[in-house]
Amino acid sequence: MAAMRARHKIRAPRRGLNAAKTDDFDSLWTVLSSSLTEIHTKNASTLSFEELYRNAYRIVLMMRGDDLYESVKKLEKDWLRDTVQKRITDSISSSLVRAQESTDIQDQSEERRAAGEKFMGVLKEAWEDHQLCMGMITDVLMYMDRIISTDKSKPSIYIVSMGLFRDYVLRAPVRPDSPITVADVLESTVLFMISLERVGHIIERPLIRHCISMLEGLYESEKEEGEKLYLSTFEPAFIKTSKEFYQAEGRRLLEIGDATTFCRISSQRITEEQERCLSTLAMMTEPKVLEVLDNELIRKNIDEVVMLEGTGVRHMLDHNLLEGLRSVYSLNARVDPKKDSLARVVNKRIVELGKEINASSIVVAQAAQPTKDAKDAKDAGTEKKEKGKEKEKPVNQQTLSAIQWVDDILALKRQFDTVWEQSFLSDQGLQSSIMASFANFINMNPRSSEYLSLFFDENLKKGIKGKTESEVDTLLDNGITLLRYIKDKDLFETYYKKHLSRRLLMKRSASTDAERQMISKMKMEVGNQFTQRIEAMFKDMTVSEDLTANYKSHIARSADPDQKPVDLEINVLTSTMWPMEIMANTKDGVVQLPCIFPREIENLKQSFEKFYLDKHSGRKLSWQAGMGTADIRATFKRSNGKVQKHEINVSTYMMVILLLFNDLPDGKSLSFEEIEERTRIPKNDLIRNLQSLALVAKTRILRKSPMSREINPADRFSFNHEFQSPFVKVRIGVVAGAKVEDQEQRKETEKKMADERGGSIEAAIVRIMKQRKKLTHSQLMTETLTQLSTRFVPDVSMVKKRIESLIDREYLERLSEEPPTYGYVA
Amino acid sequence: MAERTVLRKDQLEISLHNEKKLIKEGTIKDDNPLDLSEPFRDLCSACRRGDLKVCQEKITEGVNVNARDLYDYTPLILASLCGHYEVARLLLESGALCERDTFQGERCLYNALNDRIRNLLLEYDYSKSTDPLQPLAAHLSSLLTRESPVTTDIEVTAAEESLFLHKFVLAARSPYFRGKLSAAPESTTWKLPNSIAPEAFSAAIKYLYLGEPPRELRAGPGTGFTESEVFAGIDKIAKYLEIESLMDSILDSGDRRRARQRRTTELARGRDQLEHWFRENVLKHKVIIDTSQVDKVRWDRNNAIFADVLLRSDELPEEAEETGEAQKSTLFPVHRAILLRSEFFQAMFMSSFREAHITDNLHIIDVDCSPDVLEIILTFLYTERADFPLEVAVDVLFAADMLFIEKLKTKAAVVISTLGSEGMSQANAAKTHAKDEDDIDIYSIIRAAWLTRVQRLEEFAARFLAYRLEAHIDSPEFAELIQELRFDDAGLNELMDEKALPNGEEAQSEDVAKITDGVEALDVSKSSVGQGPGREIRTLDGAVVEDEFSEDAMNYEILMGKLEALLEKLNLDA
Repeated sequence: MAAMRARHKIRAPRRGLNAAKTDDFDSLWTVLSSSLTEIHTKNASTLSFEELYRNAYRIVLMMRGDDLYESVKKLEKDWLRDTVQKRITDSISSSLVRAQESTDIQDQSEERRAAGEKFMGVLKEAWEDHQLCMGMITDVLMYMDRIISTDKSKPSIYIVSMGLFRDYVLRAPVRPDSPITVADVLESTVLFMISLERVGHIIERPLIRHCISMLEGLYESEKEEGEKLYLSTFEPAFIKTSKEFYQAEGRRLLEIGDATTFCRISSQRITEEQERCLSTLAMMTEPKVLEVLDNELIRKNIDEVVMLEGTGVRHMLDHNLLEGLRSVYSLNARVDPKKDSLARVVNKRIVELGKEINASSIVVAQAAQPTKDAKDAKDAGTEKKEKGKEKEKPVNQQTLSAIQWVDDILALKRQFDTVWEQSFLSDQGLQSSIMASFANFINMNPRSSEYLSLFFDENLKKGIKGKTESEVDTLLDNGITLLRYIKDKDLFETYYKKHLSRRLLMKRSASTDAERQMISKMKMEVGNQFTQRIEAMFKDMTVSEDLTANYKSHIARSADPDQKPVDLEINVLTSTMWPMEIMANTKDGVVQLPCIFPREIENLKQSFEKFYLDKHSGRKLSWQAGMGTADIRATFKRSNGKVQKHEINVSTYMMVILLLFNDLPDGKSLSFEEIEERTRIPKNDLIRNLQSLALVAKTRILRKSPMSREINPADRFSFNHEFQSPFVKVRIGVVAGAKVEDQEQRKETEKKMADERGGSIEAAIVRIMKQRKKLTHSQLMTETLTQLSTRFVPDVSMVKKRIESLIDREYLERLSEEPPTYGYVA
Repeated sequence: MAERTVLRKDQLEISLHNEKKLIKEGTIKDDNPLDLSEPFRDLCSACRRGDLKVCQEKITEGVNVNARDLYDYTPLILASLCGHYEVARLLLESGALCERDTFQGERCLYNALNDRIRNLLLEYDYSKSTDPLQPLAAHLSSLLTRESPVTTDIEVTAAEESLFLHKFVLAARSPYFRGKLSAAPESTTWKLPNSIAPEAFSAAIKYLYLGEPPRELRAGPGTGFTESEVFAGIDKIAKYLEIESLMDSILDSGDRRRARQRRTTELARGRDQLEHWFRENVLKHKVIIDTSQVDKVRWDRNNAIFADVLLRSDELPEEAEETGEAQKSTLFPVHRAILLRSEFFQAMFMSSFREAHITDNLHIIDVDCSPDVLEIILTFLYTERADFPLEVAVDVLFAADMLFIEKLKTKAAVVISTLGSEGMSQANAAKTHAKDEDDIDIYSIIRAAWLTRVQRLEEFAARFLAYRLEAHIDSPEFAELIQELRFDDAGLNELMDEKALPNGEEAQSEDVAKITDGVEALDVSKSSVGQGPGREIRTLDGAVVEDEFSEDAMNYEILMGKLEALLEKLNLDA
């Protein structure tokens, strides 16, 4: 190549540059402009790209790029104004223009619709032609564009021509003297179409989509940051009409007054709008129109819908209409992250239902009460069988009502759990509000703690028999859930301990595993401190087992072989860990003297005491006969001379009573007072034990005279040799005291509770003050309440009283009055 | 590489040792082979001196820019160590490697004299692809997926799968197809034996189109072929199509470095095949004909070299007059698939103008440049080769600008600014200026630079003028240039006003720079103006001075005076 020319010099380029000086812009432009017009009239296929490009290129190299740019702009402007604009305005029928002025959309809708479709069709075609032609022109003018838009930072010719389309087509008046522009007609036509669709007509979606995308493709100004026409004009109008539409829709639906319909139609509208934005309008409108929908249709009406009589949420809850609830939930969730409206109604309903449960349990409990009273009123002559039955009844009914209560609540809970899971999509906020409602009504029942404890008691004694491990697990879990709701956990603890001690001492517990499981569950739920004492009770039981075994081997080694051995199984209980009433040996302030044991037993007692105190010096054993049992072998001499032997399992007190008759010659009898005097068994217990021995037909080992239902101090008792039982072993239970406390016992428990709480409160206050040294009254109150909240909710006046008392005892001092501040006295 | 672990020195030495061993065994190629040849030594010394022209010449001669000298220096290390930004850029553009995590690469970065060079080096990191053949390969493989415009002319079927391909690529790359197609050039479908797995088939085709080798072969459950079957298929098709290296290209894809080297060789081979085919077919079939006869030329669409369009280039009438013969036109039968590399042709073939229609006889498309320039352009498009002499460089620049071939434009600018910088090796710039005049028409170059918006060239020309201000300041062309500047850029005056604070020499020299530049290549020219006259012992009007600095000052005053007079004459406010 180098050889072709001998010049060793960078030549000036041969072409273009040199030609540039000769100014033939006009001739080049003439060729170009006629070709560009050809493009617009769709005759491009005969044109040569290369030729057009070369012409444009030459003009640019001549430094006349700007002129070219302006000329093309003018050409486009003229074309749009003179040809395209006319085509469009001609397609607008006068009915469309008229419709622009009148507002009634239903007016001549068919005619307007046809005219609108025709107009949009023409507009769409014009727009597509324009885009296509401008694409070709831009290709041809590629070089110019490159120079002009990079060097002079002007918008490319394509963008400019789009702006021209906007100015000379869309913003052209529809009639020479009319203020209405083509864009206005387009907007109102599209809105009209949409309103038709909203009332159920089928419309030409793709056509509208085309027109909308045209608006999306055009900008307010040529600058990059200019807003899209769609956003600046059409969308606000669309939002406005949507707002009006949904306001009306909301009113209409409320008038129908059916919550399910409301939900169904609302959801339907939401999908419709989504679909509309997807297929007819623009995706970016979706959030906006949905917001309008949320506001106008849902937020303003949801409260009323939820409350609707007969069809609202209450109705749905009562009839378990999960589907309906779910749609209410999803609607409410759209407008309110907390779903207040829904939560309010649900909570109200829960509390209502809960109150019903509370009320019915009281009814059952009270139903039991009158029977008892009525029974008291009945004369003693009533038949014995009937008596026995009736005697049991109130007890069972009380327990039953407790269990019924718990079961009802669990059922209710299950119901709402299903609703929550399936309809409320496991919403966190609603969960806690539902929980709060449950806690609310559960704590309205003053006996909730006791009932719950009874529920556990019953189940641990009988309920879990024959159940699989997982069933037991669920059962306990359910109970624990309720425990979560109970405010006064210390009260529950008291009851639980009471019931537990009975189960343990009387060996009524069905499964130790279940008991332990229960404890670990409680530990997880309420905390270590709560279960500490309960665990200690279990520990006492195991220690006692060892102790018994040790004692037995000790006796076997040392005892006098002649003496009849009496087996002793003993439970040594730590007095602070076990419920008060078991341990108490005072009653109503009167010291109860220990019961007098028969000689054999007394020996045994002393022997054990010696054994125990040898091991653990400094401890004091006090014997609680009330909770023990004994196996005794009794010999019955029948009147026919036969001798029948039975092994009888009785309570310790009964044993003491029965052993009295050992020393008594046959046929003699002892009076109630004599028995009381000789045994020093507390009167209450004595009555109950004698009732079991003498009144219950199946276990009548003692005869009482006179035969009456009541035990009177003057009654006399004698050994019944005619006792009959098909079994060798006979178990005689003590007539149980009512499991559910009566008013008196309740008061007592409450009093004890109050004392105990007083202690806890004081301890908490001192703990806090010791750490902080100085606190204002309100701060101290809040801290105390938080510290104690896991166990119970203390009464504010009680806390105040305790503070006073601590000041009196010089634990605290008042530092100032305003604001009231306390200091810790070391 | 989220966490770069720094190797301990011993670990580094071990890995270097291992590498050396591998190189000795021939497993991998040395990236930087030792080169003791004379031309390479010249290149190295040019890099030390910053002599762009020699560098460009040596690179064009084919000296390996990645070789190393006796002391393990590569040209790039030398250039960056000595702070020659332009040379470093030239080397990188010519394929010099600066890869992180290699001994030479890190050394190069570490050595870089200043941040400017260091950043330049980092920009060209391998990840950004330094392989100069990559654009060609990318274009070819993009043809496989390109949907419009349609450029394919044959449907090749193997088993179920059929692909639409280009006969000229097949013929250039596969001896099998070359044979078959030369026997039956008009065929539009081709069937390969059914036994070839589709996976193997498409891998082979991809290979032919210079695509990246597949990372993993789609084999195993779901495809109906096991891996070994696919490999067997590939082996088979490679033999069938006579492309032996296919297998290696797929097998080697594990090791990054080996893969890269393999790919580089592969691309070079592919390019050579294309080039060979291009020269043997396209160039052999070019038609030189009297311009008046051009319209009568008819090329059937079914031709032996599968061309689907004719490019026409006319001699200028004056040239025809010079030779005294009728004006000639040259026609090149070419392939649209390749022309698409130019945005101009792409727009043309995708439009709905006449050229885009498919007709029985090939379109003749006029290209507004001389036949030899068109040949250079075609060579570049087909082979990525752009070796052309200085004298056509401006023409190439314009043509490339017109056809939107950015890389070629850059290349032309490089050629002009490096080869044109002969004697610009700073030291003797001014001394030799008398000779330069003959070589370079700097005024047309600077105008070309403006017209084609090549900043690099503008900088070059500004510097060129700055060195020789003394020689040019009195010429009428210079005055014309300054005047043009004024019309060109009205904002310049304001700029000058702002800068022209009477702050002594510094501010004034800025002015000089500003005017001669006409563009923002401010610092470059300032420093060079500062340097240029300083080399002379004598001042410009011949008076001898003792002190170099006062000499500088005097020279400036003289120059400034002349400049001001000039500006005054042109009614400009300096």
